[in-house]
Amino acid sequence: MKGYRKYFLNKLLWFLVTFVFAFILNFTLPRLMPGDPVAAIVSRLAQGLSDATGVQAIYQQYADLFGTNKPILEQFFIYMKNVARGDFGFSFSQYPRTVADALKSSIFWTICLQFPAIIVGWLIGNTLGALAAYLKGGFDKVLMPVSIFISNFPAFGMAVILMVIFGVTLEWFPTSGGYGFDLIPNFSWGFIWSVIVHYQLPFWSIVLISIGGQAIGMRSMSIYELNADYVRYARFMGIKDRKIVGYVFRNAMLPQVTGLALSIGTMVSGALVAEIIFSYPGLGFTLYNGVMGQDYPLISASALIITVMVLSANFIIEILYGIIDPRIKAAQAD
Amino acid sequence: MKRWMPVLALLVVSALVLTACPAPTPQIIEVPKEVVVEKKVIETVEVVKEVPVEKIVKETVEVVKVVKETVVVEKPATVAALPRNETLYFNGQQWGPVVGWNPYSSGNNNAMAVAQNDSSRVIMFETPYLYNMLDGQQYPLLADGPYTWNDARTEITFKIKAAAKWSDGTPLTAEDVAYTWATHVKYNTPTGAGNKDYIDTIEAVDAQTVVVKAKLDADGKALNPLLVAAYVSQYYVIQKAWTETLEERAGGDATALMADTAEDVVYSGPYHKFFTDDTKVIYIRDDNYWGQDASMWGKLPAPKYLAHTIFKDNAAGSVALAQGEVDVSQQFNSNIQILWLNYGLPVSTYLPEAPYGIGASLPTAFYNLKSYGLDQLAVRKAIAIAVDYPTIIANAMTNQSATFDQVPRSLMNPTPGEQAMYDHDAVKDLQWAGNDIEGAKKLLDDAGITDTDGDGWREYNGQKLSYIATCPNGWSDWQAAIEVVAAAGAEIGIEISSNYPEWSVYQTIVTKSDAPLPEGYDIFMMWSAGAGPTMPWGRIRNLLSSEWVGMASNWSGNWGQYSSPDVDALIQAIPGETDPAKLKGMYTELVKMYLTDIPSFTLMYRPQSFHAVNETVWTNFPHQDDGTDPPVPPMDCTDGWGVACLYNVTLVNP
Repeated sequence: MKGYRKYFLNKLLWFLVTFVFAFILNFTLPRLMPGDPVAAIVSRLAQGLSDATGVQAIYQQYADLFGTNKPILEQFFIYMKNVARGDFGFSFSQYPRTVADALKSSIFWTICLQFPAIIVGWLIGNTLGALAAYLKGGFDKVLMPVSIFISNFPAFGMAVILMVIFGVTLEWFPTSGGYGFDLIPNFSWGFIWSVIVHYQLPFWSIVLISIGGQAIGMRSMSIYELNADYVRYARFMGIKDRKIVGYVFRNAMLPQVTGLALSIGTMVSGALVAEIIFSYPGLGFTLYNGVMGQDYPLISASALIITVMVLSANFIIEILYGIIDPRIKAAQAD
Repeated sequence: MKRWMPVLALLVVSALVLTACPAPTPQIIEVPKEVVVEKKVIETVEVVKEVPVEKIVKETVEVVKVVKETVVVEKPATVAALPRNETLYFNGQQWGPVVGWNPYSSGNNNAMAVAQNDSSRVIMFETPYLYNMLDGQQYPLLADGPYTWNDARTEITFKIKAAAKWSDGTPLTAEDVAYTWATHVKYNTPTGAGNKDYIDTIEAVDAQTVVVKAKLDADGKALNPLLVAAYVSQYYVIQKAWTETLEERAGGDATALMADTAEDVVYSGPYHKFFTDDTKVIYIRDDNYWGQDASMWGKLPAPKYLAHTIFKDNAAGSVALAQGEVDVSQQFNSNIQILWLNYGLPVSTYLPEAPYGIGASLPTAFYNLKSYGLDQLAVRKAIAIAVDYPTIIANAMTNQSATFDQVPRSLMNPTPGEQAMYDHDAVKDLQWAGNDIEGAKKLLDDAGITDTDGDGWREYNGQKLSYIATCPNGWSDWQAAIEVVAAAGAEIGIEISSNYPEWSVYQTIVTKSDAPLPEGYDIFMMWSAGAGPTMPWGRIRNLLSSEWVGMASNWSGNWGQYSSPDVDALIQAIPGETDPAKLKGMYTELVKMYLTDIPSFTLMYRPQSFHAVNETVWTNFPHQDDGTDPPVPPMDCTDGWGVACLYNVTLVNP
């Protein structure tokens, strides 16, 4: 257990160091972009304004409010102090909305779209990959090219194809929105059904693309495992095929689990393409607008959430690996 | 494998269950519900009655009879879906979620409810007058009859309609108008900051009478009567009592006052908040709206709900328009005519043929007059006359702009009112229709700007003429136009390459007029003002006045930093001039100077609002020669006099 504690503390230390650097970068990088976010706000306010000094006054007011005219170090300390209190401040691009409010209103949609899509894509992809490796023959010959073909589709291409076929031509599914254009959220079957129907195209546009990549990866890993000594030995021992495939699947899955953890970590960045093409609500577009509008607080807050989630996912995975696979712990603890 | 199947199945099921979770905090919306009640009324009927004198007489008696009548009671009910026949759907006005409802702030991102400009949006808040871009007139809304100037043209007087009321039932008075202005000034709101140099005070003489006093110059004349008159159709009247509540809440702090989301705001218009989330905003009609009084509209607007789905780009909005999920579209739908020509959809625009809409603004290419060689008129003119405008109009605007053969270039927009304000013949010789490659080459040759080193590009004083033309990235219609400008350069031996920075960068650089523009901004696109009560003067001022040069944050115009004392003098003089003949002379002179100096050049005409309608559910939208008097402008049923459309639309299948 001593070795494990050392391993754990080591990982924790790295977690903290990475976090500190990520936090500093999250603050600094957006502010290094060329351009002036306050000018963008003033442009919204000042349109139709015919008075020169008036525009200057408004500019000054917002520069003071957001503190963009303060030295960057001072801004950083203010930011740190506020973040420690859980206050991410006003969103520049959605002022006077706060960052917390802007994120809160779209994060549900993003998680509900991304999480199931990642899980389903991962499961289907890995199952197909493992089957292809195991069954070989015709199944493999068909699956491989199809997987490569589909996984190389650009996300927007898949989304547009699905929309044109199933939305516009066949009219099976609606083309835009998170629920019916004429509905108001409520707990009724009509509404829930509408949400499910609107969910399908964005969902499958993400799932279909991820299946291919997962399947290819899993197939290679499984083929490697199937040729491993323990499999041969197990076969010689006369162990049933089903049991062997179980071992193979578990071993081949290890790297795939890391990928899954990272996907889940980054999922809050949203599915930008699906959101734009299907006008689906979510964080991706909010974040995109934030980047375009140099919304430092929004970018920093989202990046911080993503950082924390990725780091935590990684941390948890590494800790679990330490338990699952003692070889890793042993190697790392040295 | 089988052992994994239950896990797999479980995860798929949980994934499907999660699909049902996106509804963030479902809301129960309480709306008035119609119920049938029984009511006793006294009715007069004729009965036949026998009387002792054995004579039949007819007499009138009163009987008590029970009748059924529908009354409105405030009983909570859940509205799960908007009735299609009572809802008018929009696109292109609201992008991104609504932030607030505060009429003192222009940062609400609530375009349908709060938009104060030349044709202010008046579905929730109202202005004293409504501007009509078709005839240039201001029609009374809250005001009672037209306003009057005093003889010295320093004061405007108007009365408030006796019927005008707030949503809380209290009367809307002159005091509200005065207090609104005082608040704008006190807290230096964008409205206050933008107008206090021209408007001195707004006073309530009595409950109904408002006097707007202009700021005066040294001679005792109004500094700018045009901007004073524009105020009455541009800015909302906000309730004094509610403003006081707001001030109390903000504790006297201007930033807090403007950042308030004002969910409790009192309004005077026919619609107000019903529902909003990240995907849509819905407004519901106030059935007690004062405007149903005979002194204004005489009835309520036809749709009970106005709904705006929040689309993420034009493409999604166009698909929804085609599918009948949008009735009124205020966005650029490229090749709009396909919808009715190829698909036979009941979609139409204000004009049946190209340019489909009424052009109001002039997207313009500005020259950086400090770039090497662009200080030479010959170079500026050569590029301008070589540009292939028909291609720009056909490609960038998909013909949704008048051509320069139809409406020759000037400083005026294509509306008949503005076109009549200058003498077309006087500037005929200065016009160009574009694509004049030979003419451009000759011009440069005559000016001695030729290719001296044989590399295919012309030199001016030995230095190659090489420019970068630019506009914001992703503004596809502008980018298409800039590419055509660059192509024209190649034809005449001037190297023009294109570059598209992000808007956040572009706008910071272009609006910084207190220093010369940096490299990369030799020829760049910006907009011009559209139609409004100060136009065409306001547009000309924005395009040409040197007062913007030197501003650190210039959102007004003249971004190429042109400066001409003669032009400035005319711009200064026009607001005080009332003689139409003299005005026409002054405007003609300005057009002449503009087409002679060419500090910038118009690339296309663009409508004030794109206005396409799908008549599957609603019909009777404004279109050319629709017989309305005054004509209802194609302003999406929400802006200025265009709001009259809401009272005219009818159902296709009632």
